[in-house]
Amino acid sequence: MEHAAQYRKKQQRRSDWLWAYVMIAPTVLGLAYFYFWPIVQTIYFSFTKWGAFGKYKWAGLDNYEKLLDDPTVWKSLGNTFVYTFLSVPVSMAISIFVAVLLNQKINGVSVYRTLYFLPVVTMPTAIAMVWKWLYHSEYGLINNLLSSFSIEGPLWINDPDIALYSLVIVAIWSTVGYNMVIFLSGLQGIPRTYYEAAQIDGAGPYRQFFRITLPLLTPTIFFVMIISMINAFQVFDIILMMIGPQNSTIDDTQSLVYLFYHHAFVVDNKGYAAAIGVILLVIILAVTIVQMRLQKKWVHYE
Amino acid sequence: MKATVGTTTRKAAIGIHLILIFGALLMVGPFLWMLLTSFKTLGEATQVPPIIFPKVFQWKNYADATVTLPFFTFYWNTIITTVAKVLGQMILCSIAAYAFARIEFPGRNVLFVFCLSVLMVPSQVYLLPQFLLIRDLGWLNSLEALIVPGLFSAFGTFLLRQFFLSLPKELEESAKLDGCNHIQIYFHIMLPLIKPGLIALAIFTALWSWNDLMWPLIVNSSPEKMTLSAGLASLQGQNMTHYPILMAGALLAILPMIVLFMFLQKQFVEGISLTGSK
Amino acid sequence: MKKRGLTWVFASLLVTMLAAAGCSSSAPPAANNSAESPASNSGNASNQEKVTLTYALWDQNQAPAMEEIAKRFTAANPHIEVKIEVTPWTQYWTKMDTAATGGVLPDLLWMNGPNIVKYASNDMLLPITDQIKKDGIDMSNYPEALINLYTVDGQIYGIPKDFDTVGLWYNKEMFDAAKIPYPDGTWDWAKVKEVAKQLTDPAKGIYGFAAMNANQSGYYNIIFQQGGFVISEDRKKSGYDDPKSIEALKFWYSFIEEKLSPPGHLMAEWDAAAKLFESGKVAMMTHGSWKAVEFGQNEYTKDKVDVTYLPKGSVSNASVIHGLTTVIAANTKHPEEAWAFSKFLGSKEAAEVQAQTGATIPAFKGTQDAWVKAFPNFQAQVFIDQAATANPYPVSKDTSKWNALETEYFTKVWGGEMKIEDAAREIATKMNEFLAQE
Repeated sequence: MEHAAQYRKKQQRRSDWLWAYVMIAPTVLGLAYFYFWPIVQTIYFSFTKWGAFGKYKWAGLDNYEKLLDDPTVWKSLGNTFVYTFLSVPVSMAISIFVAVLLNQKINGVSVYRTLYFLPVVTMPTAIAMVWKWLYHSEYGLINNLLSSFSIEGPLWINDPDIALYSLVIVAIWSTVGYNMVIFLSGLQGIPRTYYEAAQIDGAGPYRQFFRITLPLLTPTIFFVMIISMINAFQVFDIILMMIGPQNSTIDDTQSLVYLFYHHAFVVDNKGYAAAIGVILLVIILAVTIVQMRLQKKWVHYE
Repeated sequence: MKATVGTTTRKAAIGIHLILIFGALLMVGPFLWMLLTSFKTLGEATQVPPIIFPKVFQWKNYADATVTLPFFTFYWNTIITTVAKVLGQMILCSIAAYAFARIEFPGRNVLFVFCLSVLMVPSQVYLLPQFLLIRDLGWLNSLEALIVPGLFSAFGTFLLRQFFLSLPKELEESAKLDGCNHIQIYFHIMLPLIKPGLIALAIFTALWSWNDLMWPLIVNSSPEKMTLSAGLASLQGQNMTHYPILMAGALLAILPMIVLFMFLQKQFVEGISLTGSK
Repeated sequence: MKKRGLTWVFASLLVTMLAAAGCSSSAPPAANNSAESPASNSGNASNQEKVTLTYALWDQNQAPAMEEIAKRFTAANPHIEVKIEVTPWTQYWTKMDTAATGGVLPDLLWMNGPNIVKYASNDMLLPITDQIKKDGIDMSNYPEALINLYTVDGQIYGIPKDFDTVGLWYNKEMFDAAKIPYPDGTWDWAKVKEVAKQLTDPAKGIYGFAAMNANQSGYYNIIFQQGGFVISEDRKKSGYDDPKSIEALKFWYSFIEEKLSPPGHLMAEWDAAAKLFESGKVAMMTHGSWKAVEFGQNEYTKDKVDVTYLPKGSVSNASVIHGLTTVIAANTKHPEEAWAFSKFLGSKEAAEVQAQTGATIPAFKGTQDAWVKAFPNFQAQVFIDQAATANPYPVSKDTSKWNALETEYFTKVWGGEMKIEDAAREIATKMNEFLAQE
């Protein structure tokens, strides 16, 4: 009798597994075929010396050896870290705050949400143009305002000590809208009854936020954190548009992906570029796995 | 007692509005800039320091943008691509996410990290092998090239997995007792509960598909197979860019996205109210 | 075609739904498709009757002229249709690089100086020397510097399509206000500096001259004019450590040191100078003939600015000349038809179509008048005259590699981090390393 029950349980588990494999199969195989396989080929390229138009020869660890000796790689790795660890937490804090405010029954909430979402749909060229104008040393809005208080403004994107932080500000600005949408959707999953119970206990808005909202939002926060880190580690567009090769602060602002772009598409050094991509993969993978391990300590799943 | 609650909430409401308005002003700047530029003359658009308001609103820029490019073909291709990707991802990602979140199976974590790893390499890095793959499939210059790889999303799977994870366990236990299989639990019980997640996914997938630039330009060549953002990019020249026409075109291009967002975000109002006393 | 797309979408969704719901499906949609696909690429070319050529270019402004040329060509050759495919400049070379690696370049494509040697010497293009001889095309109709630009290892790869040269643009209003006569062909660089001093007004943020961090429209010209060089004629040696080149570069940068030009960090970006010029902040700058379109359309500049010959250096007042051509991809399935179209593109008729739009100066001798007439406000003839004495645009096999060096080091100079003579010597050292590898 007991054996039969155990057997059935085992059967049940087997059938669960089968269901799981079938359900993940389309996505896993699709990702493997269209994304992972090209990535594997890229990893192979990182061990080659690339000539023009796909003529390559095996080069062993040459690219990696060169990479370790290349000061610009280390410098841009540092830039990428500064960029990521500054922009991600600030952007997340602001977006949670905004999402909580925009999750209330206040007048015009739809309008606010749309306005906060606009940076996400605004053309990158327009974003770069506006920020460049704001930061312009001679004619820029910020420095003009500062000078009316007789403060001499800095060379926002032309001063090697400041440029990276100027970019971090743009990054925060442009990611708040994205994160807000995810947090808004996450907030919907928090049952209203919790708040009603808290109110009966006399908890004010702050206590409700820290006791209910924040803990129950942790699965979403975890998601946003992982995704934001991955995206921040891959920062590229902003640097190309706001700094680019013709700004002498490029050494102090370029990210690993910018360096990749330079080697792959400007100077046609694709093997070396692939090696940079692989290094980036290894770093992000390590950071993500650490986060996945740590999540048990702070993420509340039901 | 009740009166004080009322006044504090009203005060709080005013405070909240002030904060939100301040934030909104910071957020809309570049968009307004884009809007104003789209009405400027070329001369007004290139002035340093910038001229903020055009002297005369140049509606002509909008007409020029639609004449210069086969706008309607681009629109059509973009809509097809986007609708297919959004529907495809909502189905495929949610099914996979359900399994990752709610079923214990050997290799679950490894396979999940495997999915995530696809996000960890910027797409520029594997552009060439991906292009060769599409060539070998015979899909160059086709909508398939735009749609099929976009049906699979690690981002979407991860996002929805988080939503499935936050649902209570009792849900499927009772359903299993009723004899439901996993597809039935997924479809009838779980899926309706992660609607906010699906909406967020729809917004992002639509947006990324709509704005995707590099991939369509690399795999497709002929104007009949081009998408909007890729087509618009050709307004940015090597030697000269007519910014007003470019911005007018860009506004026409993103208008559907704004409308879509306004529509979809309305689905977020069913949630909780923090102050609760209204 | 549209219909097919839609059907496909629904079919694909159906397949994915079935795969997900059917529980027993062993083959996911992706794998299914890979099996059936490779055939579709090769099948359609066998029809000899009607041929469609694809023609890739990057300038949307020139697309109408190219469409018109294609239309006329098809009228004369009804069995050949030409499909114009515009890829934006920013992505053009990435796309061509990828397509070339995959062996799927368009039949015909626009080519420029920095890329020709790389594509030609790696057998990506078809040489047309024999066809030119066979069809008796008179190459003396095109600027010699451009024919040489597109000749690699003795083989010609393209008939020059258009050209651009550089002139001295100036703001007439600012000269009038200061009661200084407009610059003309008699000016030398000392005179430019002298007048720049008179026109500069730091309080108003107005500068006499814009010393751009740009090669073709900027320092290349003065390097040649002072007897220096960028790359030796055998393409083996860099000219950046040549004393005359360095002298020229130092003079160029002296405008910034003496504050006669907007600050270096602003001038480092190559389009910044034109924007300041269009805003009346800069009185003079050297810039290409291609800027005529923009300055002519911009209502602030169209009647306030004009252009004249470059100022004289110690050797000449010559400009650098560059131009585009159309090349035939080696992977084309229709080499004869492609050559037929290429030949037509090089014809006088095609040149005249291009000239009328004003978008670019056609290379064919004697067809430039229409282009000049497109800009009645400017002395546009200057650019045509400069072509006669112009120096060829410097290239080698891996031009992009040392172009990137120029950008990198001179940007440091303009950013105030390096002295220009040190930068030039650094570039020379590294450029010689690249050239030795070629």
